[in-house]
Amino acid sequence: MTKIRTGEITTHVQRLPAAGRPADGSEPDVVVFVHGLLTDSLASYYFTLGPAFAAAGFDVIMYDLRGHGRSDRPATGYRLESFVGDLAGLLDALGETRRVHVVGNSFGGTVAAALAAWHPDRVATVTMIESEPPVAEWTRHMADGLADAKSQLSREDVIGWISAHHGAHTARLSRGASRILRVTTLAEDIPAGRVIDDDLSALNCPVLAIFGDESGLSAQVDSLEAKLASCRTVVLAEQGHSVLVERTEETRDLILEWIRDHTLAGAVR
Amino acid sequence: MSTEAIGIMTTEPLDTDDAAVLADITRMLRELLEEDGLDDAEISRETTFHDDLELESIDLVTLAGVLREHYGDRVNLALFIADLELDEIIALTVGELADYVAASLRANGQG
Repeated sequence: MTKIRTGEITTHVQRLPAAGRPADGSEPDVVVFVHGLLTDSLASYYFTLGPAFAAAGFDVIMYDLRGHGRSDRPATGYRLESFVGDLAGLLDALGETRRVHVVGNSFGGTVAAALAAWHPDRVATVTMIESEPPVAEWTRHMADGLADAKSQLSREDVIGWISAHHGAHTARLSRGASRILRVTTLAEDIPAGRVIDDDLSALNCPVLAIFGDESGLSAQVDSLEAKLASCRTVVLAEQGHSVLVERTEETRDLILEWIRDHTLAGAVR
Repeated sequence: MSTEAIGIMTTEPLDTDDAAVLADITRMLRELLEEDGLDDAEISRETTFHDDLELESIDLVTLAGVLREHYGDRVNLALFIADLELDEIIALTVGELADYVAASLRANGQG
């Protein structure tokens, strides 16, 4: 297990080297995967997209967000800018000076977009899987959702209901989520973080956004396409928020194809 | 193929190797569980990672690293798990992992 100092915390990182080198002898592009909040960790990529991208010739970086997985869990410090600082610090610590492709699931996509907005020199492309960019409306959604999760998941009768209707596995994940919310200020900090302007003018790199049609987040499609200079949106039919878990192969293929079209050296086939 | 080679592939030594792999994995799991203060858990072939040992997916990432350190690149837990459905991952037993590891070692000619 590799743990790296990134600012004031220690971050758990897993890297998978590209299976081969580009034909022209250049360095392989780097893809960084960012997981979602509360029930998530880098394991979501380690057993899914990570190996596939390394096999496809990309250097892969996966890491645990602060408070999650095997990274440190400080009691405070969960504003978006801290998550972005950790990611920039991780790239510094790994000596990664090239622009990277950042793929984020749910909140991870928001971190990816924020890195692109605040550190545009570090990001080649952003992929958001069921995510919102960090605009003011996003903070309101998060405030409501996190406050709700914090109060509901602390109740044993709610955990019992989750166990009965969604199984022991989901119930255990819910307990883990409740623990993070109880021992940290995450639920209060995330809605209080820095945002970007609603016009998304801060987001200048190419963006791929993938949604499920049954998720409320897919309502952003028109707005994203209108506001972003370079944007591709994909909406998967009969699919809710759990795109990465339930539609892993389609998601993998969409992102692979799109990143191959946007490598630093130009499109490769 | 010589009869000697066939003998190596079909008789006693393999069972011993399977037992050795199971013993190795049991020891690795004990060390992993010790960090979580759960080192008194019973571990057999039928033990499940999820329900019996209460390991989370991030623990399997750690286990993948330990397996690679011990066996080298011949054993790739990420690729093994990538082929499983979520309910299969949840139901995964120590014996199934031991079988996969033993098969990987054999496939790479060092069983």
